[in-house]
Amino acid sequence: MKRIRFYFALWASKLARAAIRLMGRNASFWPGKIALRLCPDFIGQCGRPETVVSVTGTNGKTTCCNMLIDFFTRGGETVLNNRLGSNTNAGIASALSQGNTWGGKARQKLAVLEVDERSSRLVYPYIRPDYILITDLFRDSILRNANAEFIAGILDSSIPENTKLVLNGDDLISSRVALRNRRVYYGIGRLPTDTDTCRNIINDVRVCPVCQSPLASDYVHYCHIGRVRCPKCGFASPEPDYFADSLDFENSAIHIAEKDGGETYHLAADSIFNAYDVLGVIALLREMGHSRAEVKAAMEEIRIVGTRYLTEQAGDVSVVDHLAKGLNPVACSLVFDWLSRRPGKKELILLLSSDPYELPENVTWLYDTDFEFLNSPDITRIVVGGKRLEDYRLRLLIAGVPEDKIVCCASEAETVEHLELAAGETVYFLHDFLRMPYNLHLGEQIRGRIRERVAGREEAGK
Amino acid sequence: MTIETLYPEICNLFGEPTNVKYLQMSVPGAEVVNTALNDEPAFVSRKTDLVYMGSMTENAQELVIGRLRPYMDRLRGLVSDGTAFLMTGNAFEIFGSYIECDDGRRIEGLGLYDIYSVRRMMKRYSSLFLGRAGECEVAGFRNQFTFSYGDNTKNGLFAVTKGIGLNPDSRTEGVRLNNFMATQVLGPLLVLNPSFTQMLLRLLGSDAEPAFLSRAQEAYQRRVADFSDPGCRF
Repeated sequence: MKRIRFYFALWASKLARAAIRLMGRNASFWPGKIALRLCPDFIGQCGRPETVVSVTGTNGKTTCCNMLIDFFTRGGETVLNNRLGSNTNAGIASALSQGNTWGGKARQKLAVLEVDERSSRLVYPYIRPDYILITDLFRDSILRNANAEFIAGILDSSIPENTKLVLNGDDLISSRVALRNRRVYYGIGRLPTDTDTCRNIINDVRVCPVCQSPLASDYVHYCHIGRVRCPKCGFASPEPDYFADSLDFENSAIHIAEKDGGETYHLAADSIFNAYDVLGVIALLREMGHSRAEVKAAMEEIRIVGTRYLTEQAGDVSVVDHLAKGLNPVACSLVFDWLSRRPGKKELILLLSSDPYELPENVTWLYDTDFEFLNSPDITRIVVGGKRLEDYRLRLLIAGVPEDKIVCCASEAETVEHLELAAGETVYFLHDFLRMPYNLHLGEQIRGRIRERVAGREEAGK
Repeated sequence: MTIETLYPEICNLFGEPTNVKYLQMSVPGAEVVNTALNDEPAFVSRKTDLVYMGSMTENAQELVIGRLRPYMDRLRGLVSDGTAFLMTGNAFEIFGSYIECDDGRRIEGLGLYDIYSVRRMMKRYSSLFLGRAGECEVAGFRNQFTFSYGDNTKNGLFAVTKGIGLNPDSRTEGVRLNNFMATQVLGPLLVLNPSFTQMLLRLLGSDAEPAFLSRAQEAYQRRVADFSDPGCRF
């Protein structure tokens, strides 16, 4: 029985949404905020779609949700979702308010909800998802999530008992969440780029969760992602129910083995991180009862949008403009690792400091980040800008980068003037995700100036 | 010089292993002994000049307390004899009398000092920190689920200039017992504070300078100037 208070909150939320939309703004947060203020259990009181699917975790939430929504809408189904809005409890409340009739009944039969892992305790006990896909759990920005175990604890205590979990079996943090729940695992087999031991500073699964002895790795994809076993007590990573035994980026193909067969699917991904997203989504869809043929057909069409980098050629110099999640040590480490494996000579512009826009930057994250990957003979110069440039220089020195390769430039726009721009090299412009759209403009400026300088050099050489 | 790092496989949050790496870069030839969770600490059976332990998760705190408890008599003896210890982040909490959890449960600490901590997992505290140890100004960060209580006014490590001490009402941070130093200030503390590192090196009998001293000082001076600005706070 719904209470008067709920209807009052629902109507207020709907009216707020209309008013905010009239002002030309995206009403994805405040209508839900208002509803929750008026009715704290608003999410639980709302009309619930027959099936609720949720995606949470540190990385890949949005990508997975977009793929799921694309899958379901291809068949003409309308899906309640928070794709365009906030993934906090207020965002979920906004989406539910919009998806409910004025009488408090769900308009859609299916919901796909992206839920911020920290907000899960304010969402899951009320909406009680049928399925939750947990992509992975990692250290994130220190101000956001403290440590991965803390986030795992929040999920552990907030996931309802009857929810079926689809889990990344290669991640021993998220795969051990809510052990009481029904679950399936997915995982990726050994890749040519894998290592036998972890090369990253961050590895949050070094000891056996049972006997605390050091774990041995079968292979490491990155950080704590891979397969491990305990030589002492026999504990091991869970056996995947959906096992990607072949990843072929060149031909965009992923083969996924299941207990009763397997299938090769189109792989809309150019990195292992996105491959995990594709694999997780396929595992979830299979658990929901969709046939391999049905999923295979859909995966041919589904694309991952929003690549984080763009490349262009400026004469004989290549330019890569790459977004990096500043304050997030794992995200930046993975970009540094990727970059260090790219062929050819390289120069870098590093503008990762968020200081001018946020609170004084807590620089502890720099020491969780693998700047050591940037200590490579192929990297001939690193130009550092931003307010905390002295900290970045010190971090690079500790990583072993020779001081004569490091240039500090207080003016971000002028960092480009310190590049050598030798013929045949690639310039990587790495900048903070949090500073968009400012950095979009700065990127255009920097790329333009590189074009000018290279053209000038080529002209002078004629 | 021998530096022992306790349980680096789990006490490694917030970039803190770089504290030891930085000392090692500053004193070429320094030996670093990494003691694993199921091993006996090196300080039990051999001479160590410095014992270091950094931040860990909350579950790890309980594991570490269990592992260190059998060696507390030895540890107390070393503290009395003047062996240097540096405990950073929430390693500070485990040497107190107890940690009170959200549900009221008490985790008995190692009891080296009469300070207890109250943990509230949904009320994390983050801030910048500015303080003094004698002539040495120290800048860093705080990020913790606890506030601590007790009297450290006579044996505190830092006098607070900006930020908080044991708790929002306290103006003294950390504990110093002889050469045992424990602080909740993050940084990594030694990398961000070359003057403090220099002081520690002298205490360890080394006349070496902190690595990349001039560059470290530039970053340090900028941070101290920023944090000293009354408009700068979080």
